[in-house]
Amino acid sequence: MKSSALPRLTTTAIWLAAAGSASAAPSFTHDVMPLLSRAGCNMGACHGSGSGKGNLKISLRGESPAGDHAVLTQNVRSKRLNVDDPESSFLLKKPAELTEHEGGKRFEKDSEEYRVLHDWIAAGAPMDPPDAPVLTALTVSPPQAIVTGPARDVQLTATATFSDGTSRDVTRWAVYEPSNLLPKVTRDGLVQAQKTGETTVVVRFEQLKTPVRLAFIADRPDFVWNAPAPRNLVDEHVFAKLQQMRTLPSPDCSDTTFVRRAFLDVTGQVPTRQEAESFTAETDPDKRSKLIGDLLERPAYADHWSMKWADLLRVEERILDTKGVAAFHGWIRQGVAEDRPLDAFARDVVASLGSTYENAPANFYRSLREPTQRAEAAAQVFLGTRLGCAKCHNHPFERWTQDDYYRFSAVFDRIGYTILENKRKDENDKLEFVGEQVLYLNNQPELNDPRTKKPPTPALLGEKADLPQDTNHLQSFAEWMTKPEHPLFARVQVNRIWSHLMGSGLVDPIDDFRLTNPPSNPALLDALTEYFIQHGMKAKPLIRLICQSRTYQLSSTPLPENADDTLNYSHPVVRRLPAEPLLDAIYRALDRTPDFSSYPDTKTAAAIPGVKLGARKSKPTEDDRFLKQFGKSPRTTTCGCERSDESSLAQVFTLTSGPGIAEVISASDNRLAALADPAMDPAEAVRDLYWRSLSRPPSAAELEFLSPLLAEPATRRAALEDITWSLINTKEFLLRH
Amino acid sequence: MSACSSFHPSGLLSRRSMLRAGSLGMLGITLPKLLQASSQYTGPKPPVRAKSVIFLFQWGGPSHLETFDMKPEADENCRGPHKPMRSASPDIEVNDRLPKTAAVMDKVTLIKSVHHKMTNHNSAGYYALTGKAPPSDDQRLRESIELFPGYGSIADKLIERPDPAMPTYVSYPHIISDGTPTPGQFASFLGKKHDPLYVPSDPNDAGFSLPQFSLPTGLSIDRLRHRRGLQQFIDQQAKLMDFSAEAKGLDEYYAKALGMLNSTRIREAFNLGAEADKMREAYGRTTYGQGCLLARRLAESGVKFTTCYFSDSIGGQKTDGGGWDTHGFNNTRMYPIIEQYHLPITEQTLPTLLLDLEQRGMLDETLVVWMGEFGRTPKINANISRDHWPHCYTVLLAGGGTKRGFVHGSSDETGSHPATNPVTPDDVAATIYYLMGIDPRSEVMDAQGRPIMISSGNPIMEVVA
Repeated sequence: MKSSALPRLTTTAIWLAAAGSASAAPSFTHDVMPLLSRAGCNMGACHGSGSGKGNLKISLRGESPAGDHAVLTQNVRSKRLNVDDPESSFLLKKPAELTEHEGGKRFEKDSEEYRVLHDWIAAGAPMDPPDAPVLTALTVSPPQAIVTGPARDVQLTATATFSDGTSRDVTRWAVYEPSNLLPKVTRDGLVQAQKTGETTVVVRFEQLKTPVRLAFIADRPDFVWNAPAPRNLVDEHVFAKLQQMRTLPSPDCSDTTFVRRAFLDVTGQVPTRQEAESFTAETDPDKRSKLIGDLLERPAYADHWSMKWADLLRVEERILDTKGVAAFHGWIRQGVAEDRPLDAFARDVVASLGSTYENAPANFYRSLREPTQRAEAAAQVFLGTRLGCAKCHNHPFERWTQDDYYRFSAVFDRIGYTILENKRKDENDKLEFVGEQVLYLNNQPELNDPRTKKPPTPALLGEKADLPQDTNHLQSFAEWMTKPEHPLFARVQVNRIWSHLMGSGLVDPIDDFRLTNPPSNPALLDALTEYFIQHGMKAKPLIRLICQSRTYQLSSTPLPENADDTLNYSHPVVRRLPAEPLLDAIYRALDRTPDFSSYPDTKTAAAIPGVKLGARKSKPTEDDRFLKQFGKSPRTTTCGCERSDESSLAQVFTLTSGPGIAEVISASDNRLAALADPAMDPAEAVRDLYWRSLSRPPSAAELEFLSPLLAEPATRRAALEDITWSLINTKEFLLRH
Repeated sequence: MSACSSFHPSGLLSRRSMLRAGSLGMLGITLPKLLQASSQYTGPKPPVRAKSVIFLFQWGGPSHLETFDMKPEADENCRGPHKPMRSASPDIEVNDRLPKTAAVMDKVTLIKSVHHKMTNHNSAGYYALTGKAPPSDDQRLRESIELFPGYGSIADKLIERPDPAMPTYVSYPHIISDGTPTPGQFASFLGKKHDPLYVPSDPNDAGFSLPQFSLPTGLSIDRLRHRRGLQQFIDQQAKLMDFSAEAKGLDEYYAKALGMLNSTRIREAFNLGAEADKMREAYGRTTYGQGCLLARRLAESGVKFTTCYFSDSIGGQKTDGGGWDTHGFNNTRMYPIIEQYHLPITEQTLPTLLLDLEQRGMLDETLVVWMGEFGRTPKINANISRDHWPHCYTVLLAGGGTKRGFVHGSSDETGSHPATNPVTPDDVAATIYYLMGIDPRSEVMDAQGRPIMISSGNPIMEVVA
């Protein structure tokens, strides 16, 4: 696709006249406002910032034409804007840099922008008449495109449709924002990709936004699709996309890789030697599917997947207290173990009140003590939507307005707390609670819309209708949200499970669903969602489906043809084990149990129910520190991003020279005690270490290199410790591959 | 969830409201001066004036009225028993119990009009450590990815060409807290790789060294190298490093960790034993004194930002430790406590550090910041002590491109409110970044992917030499 010639545009002043305005003056809403957006005047870093810039504050991204008109025309015979002498107006001189302007030159003096602004000022800087047509649609052509190299250019054309039925080419007046750095987009809508890859360009005109998904793929004339047949719907859609992108999936992974991967993903634990060895030796062609079925029924599955929910639902002791954490975690874990449908689970979370000890899911609102907090959390966890931006201004990348924000927040208003007792240890900590609380609906609105200073009228997110006054709004929200036809709920649950297993969401970040952040494979997300709904919105069937696919079982070793792919699942992207599985894997390799000051009876990191409040009495153990350092979530927000899977130098110091790891390796009663027995064949000792730590046998070369190190009885124990250290510090051990 | 708090420079007067303030003559602010700072700063990227910053955080909140902003003319309920003395700068008087400090006032800039509204240690401390107003004045404000990282973490993120062999940001010897750890000491949403190299050991201990360098018993550096050899051999078998960026990145950390364990440069930087006894005595054989000496060594070896915390706790009730929080609680009294502990330790360390930096020719390129989270009440309380006072207090800057013997801003006759040139912690932050050569308007992405300016304040151009 080569850039086509730009359509010739008549001046906006004229086209508005054609659209039925009586005046020949440019329209403030349809000419001046887009111009200010296009010149960047109302960006967050410029005059759109909360405090404005250089004594001028206009609405962020032009969300409020009326307000901006009032600001700009406060005094029509001022330095800023002078209708008697338009050219002296700062509104013209500054952006054309005819006088000093911190924001630099935004347009030339002889540009169309200058002329439109000038003509508007000269006409008296009028606001549009109340009956002026309004923008009703913004269409962009092409709506999406796959561009095969060597061409890397796509010309976008934007058309605005107005309420009087007219439509105009606004290509030259729209704003173009790519989702990543892959392409450059000229001010006239020409997208130029720098290399192959995918991007979304959001085209904005006035307050409408239209995303255009573009893929730029290498021209591979010799490309031959020769992947194996799809095993299930996951493969059908992943392979279809790969084929379209002229990319091949990597080959199948080995049994030893699979057994480690499946154990870690499904149960958060590495297999024991016996489990890994017998799985590898098994000849049943269906053994992988059988293993997945087996793993899903284990207690470790419930521990591992409850941990993910506990992160999101803020299961921690500062606010919930020890008893509340036990109740809430126990309730979550039971639901996960029983594979309770996620719609029922979610309804209980968002609509439960009563005693936080007796009715465990009420703890969700025990943590969230303000209506806006509850609304933001419910939207983020269950609808994958980040509403936060709309608290202060209309969401820049979504349709949510401040009205939506406050009306939705009002759904979560009127929750009262009866604090039966509070034996907090720190009198000054207003968010520490120790004791039972009873949550109830009251008639006291506490939320005011800061703009009107009045309680907003409750409405469900994106719905026009007010919620009836005398109903339980939490119930209404719960029912509305979990209807199978809700456009977000099921998709968000599916996407989160997909992301846990595959390393990244089809929509990514997983809690940022929006028009301008479309899924990388929409057909796959649709199909998975349909499957999920058909299977009663249960997690286990979906996990089984994904894990049984060829896609899940691909080798992480890339092919030359797919090495650049990080988006389409041609091979798993290698990532670090999360804190808990990593610590548990170290202890399992050495037959020891970790030690947590906070939860001394807990035998694995994955089973820890909550996060303790500080450590005033008991000092954190090395294992507590390990979990924190490797990114265990402190659970102070409902964002999954609080858990960190990045690596750091400090982590590597802990692994290389930290006292905790040294203690596990050197403990006299660990697994090495048996292996140190000179009677045991050195090769067998090496094999044992390999199976326990890496879930695979040593290669011939490894056996040949390492076994002789164990030959000398006097140094055998030390050599075993050295080999063990090396094994748990290999990338193969630390990374999920 | 505090949406967008960072978009709003709360506590900062908008220019419009400043215009109003000017026209009403509030606070006696003169309008041209008010607007000067923001109108002067237009550049995109300032030059590097301070190659290193030494941030001496005075936890607990030192009294401005007993240090650098004395009010001898005020009535006895305010002025207190201490007397001021003249200093090496004609414009500056200091407590006469700080004669050595007075003698170096020709090297410093005092900002006497810093003000904000946070009355609790953790909220005010977070504000001081980040330059970002917290979402609420919460006494137990806690670390969260919704809060902002400290200056050193921002510097680590934004600084160009960091030294690969040295950490950018080092902090020690405490994690400060008041009930809960004070937020602003770590990298928050910037991620763990921008955390400081935090050293939880006492630089005044005989065997002080980086704990990361002390290997567990039975593990010699040679044995560790041997293990690394085995690890590399096994890594080669799996070939993950041939293609995985994550694996390669992780291995780089191993190379770096082993390199640091072997490095003489970083080891040397932390080796206080290399200092002459006379020098160590000069700084004082205290945790804080040796911490200040360590800060100088770190600046010398290329660390960009060093935070040395005066104390781990807000303190204020004893004479052998703790911070500046001298309310007179539990029948204690502020004056004997600061006379015996806080003022002498300040008198021993601050002038020693400034003179040492000057003597080594480092002061012009090293910014020293001495500040607490707030000052103390102008009115002496019933315990003959002072309580929290964020509405006006003094911050001391020295070196790193700041003016010498200079005072910016002033307080009213009782030290209660700024009289001229009010400055917020946002402005102090912008000034620190500006002096480091970091554009205070730089943006970083927060946990929700929103672009947030690292400072909403304006660099105080008047203090730049």
